Amino acid sequence: MNGSAPTAPRFEAEALADMAGLAARHPSIFRVNWPRRALTVAIVAVLAGLFISGFWALGFSFARIAGGLGKLVEFAGFMLPPSPGSYATFLTYLMALAQTLAIAFLGTLTAAILAFPFGFLAAKNVIPNVFLHFSLRRGLDVVRGVDVLIWALIWINVVGLGPFAGILAVATSNFGEFGKLFSEAIEAMDKKAVEGVASTGGGKLHQVRFGLLPQVFPVIVSQVLYYFESNTRSATIIGVVGAGGVGLHLYEQIRMLEWQHVSFLVLMILLTVAVIDFVSGRLRFAIIGNAKIVA
Amino acid sequence: MLVLEGVSRRFGAKTAVDSVELTVVPGSFVGVIGRSGAGKSTLLRMINRLVDPSDGRIRCGDVDVTGLRGRELRDWRARCAMIFQQFNLVGRLDVLTNVLMGRLNAAPSAKSLVRLWAPEDKAIALAALEQFDIAGLAAQRADQLSGGQQQRVAIARALAQSPEIILADEPIASLDPRNTRIVMDALQRINRTYGITVICNLHSLDLARSYCDRLVGMAAGRVVFDGLPESLTDDVARELYGLEAADVIGEGATSPAAAGWGARSPVAIPA
Repeated sequence: MNGSAPTAPRFEAEALADMAGLAARHPSIFRVNWPRRALTVAIVAVLAGLFISGFWALGFSFARIAGGLGKLVEFAGFMLPPSPGSYATFLTYLMALAQTLAIAFLGTLTAAILAFPFGFLAAKNVIPNVFLHFSLRRGLDVVRGVDVLIWALIWINVVGLGPFAGILAVATSNFGEFGKLFSEAIEAMDKKAVEGVASTGGGKLHQVRFGLLPQVFPVIVSQVLYYFESNTRSATIIGVVGAGGVGLHLYEQIRMLEWQHVSFLVLMILLTVAVIDFVSGRLRFAIIGNAKIVA
Repeated sequence: MLVLEGVSRRFGAKTAVDSVELTVVPGSFVGVIGRSGAGKSTLLRMINRLVDPSDGRIRCGDVDVTGLRGRELRDWRARCAMIFQQFNLVGRLDVLTNVLMGRLNAAPSAKSLVRLWAPEDKAIALAALEQFDIAGLAAQRADQLSGGQQQRVAIARALAQSPEIILADEPIASLDPRNTRIVMDALQRINRTYGITVICNLHSLDLARSYCDRLVGMAAGRVVFDGLPESLTDDVARELYGLEAADVIGEGATSPAAAGWGARSPVAIPA
């Protein structure tokens, strides 16, 4: 027993005394890999160069930011206090917001219901057919590749202006995204449970129903809830092109420079999204429990 | 000298550790035994301050461990290395970098964050790996190693901290009998060669008896036994382990894991 005298540094001292020996035994560890280091530096330099030249090419200018900043403050001043002007307008806005919410809700739910079977069909571990898998996945990619705003413009031409076009737009674009997300979630699931069900003599449907679904359901629920919240924001945007909802009012008030109305509308949307976020968080816990969510 | 004075930890209404008094002499190999849920892990984690005590004081020399914050807390953690049941390595990093984690507290952050390690730190990490015959694995990814190899990497990481104390929390619970021996021997060697204090949580009584020079028995958060391994009679063990006692005493001393299985399942596995 040597009291409080630190004994451990003896190991450190031993190691350092043997540095020559260690270097001889493991030369690769002590050798500085110059080509690799140069490559790292080169990649960082190229990325930084792209970043700066990109801004420069697209007319980045501190002067304009500084000038604009003044304007931003000015607009912020115009926006205070947020006000809808009259009670009647407030009611109009409220109805429009409700329409936006309905578009997001119906669109998300339709997409989820449609994508649910496709998620399983496009999962490699459910349908091992390469051809079917490939064509389904690419099909979903095409639907997904078109943005919700473009879908809105397409559906307006097909079914006319209004919230119905908005629902269809949200549903189509989400269908592609859900299909991909669901099938990937299904593919990431643990095979052991499926094997367990198969080992009892259960059929393919039993394996999906009891082996996969209980595992993947919480993931799907949390994805759908997240999309509902995100779609409330997108549904605002598609209103601008005439697919119903609060977006049109927002766009018009910006054009008419009614900044107090604009800030009131923005606050209404913010509040709605916050409420949805809170409610969906509670819902998720209620459905899933406190278990860890994979995706 | 590590001293615990009336240390308690409560999680909600449950008391995991209940007024523990303990003095650990430098250079000793202390085994903390008891059934799962007795508070062994919480006790060790409190010494490293991964868990804060609800009550009481932990002192080491003239350092009040319970009051440490920031830089001083990190310095203390470097002095009392931790080894975990699940190894707690960074699977996606190579073995050498995992061991170099043990040098983080000593190396300047600006350099370590961009992985520019000093040759001295590399030498210490490699020497630690050489101690356990795994220097050849230095460039491999940690998650490609077997459990026994991973635990040896974890011990090398602890050694690279050049600690005064090593806290080992059930270090062999996820290992097979052969690796159990290798890992326990490694701990014993650094204890004897470098005089590093080892405090080791163990479920198996036989292992504790053969490696430790002092045993601390815990039950329901309290220390119910503290003495030499020889003085731990089967009666005391039965009290400590209750119904599990048959599993942990009187089995083959060399392969506790196999003995544990044997006691539970009468199926003979053909060689």
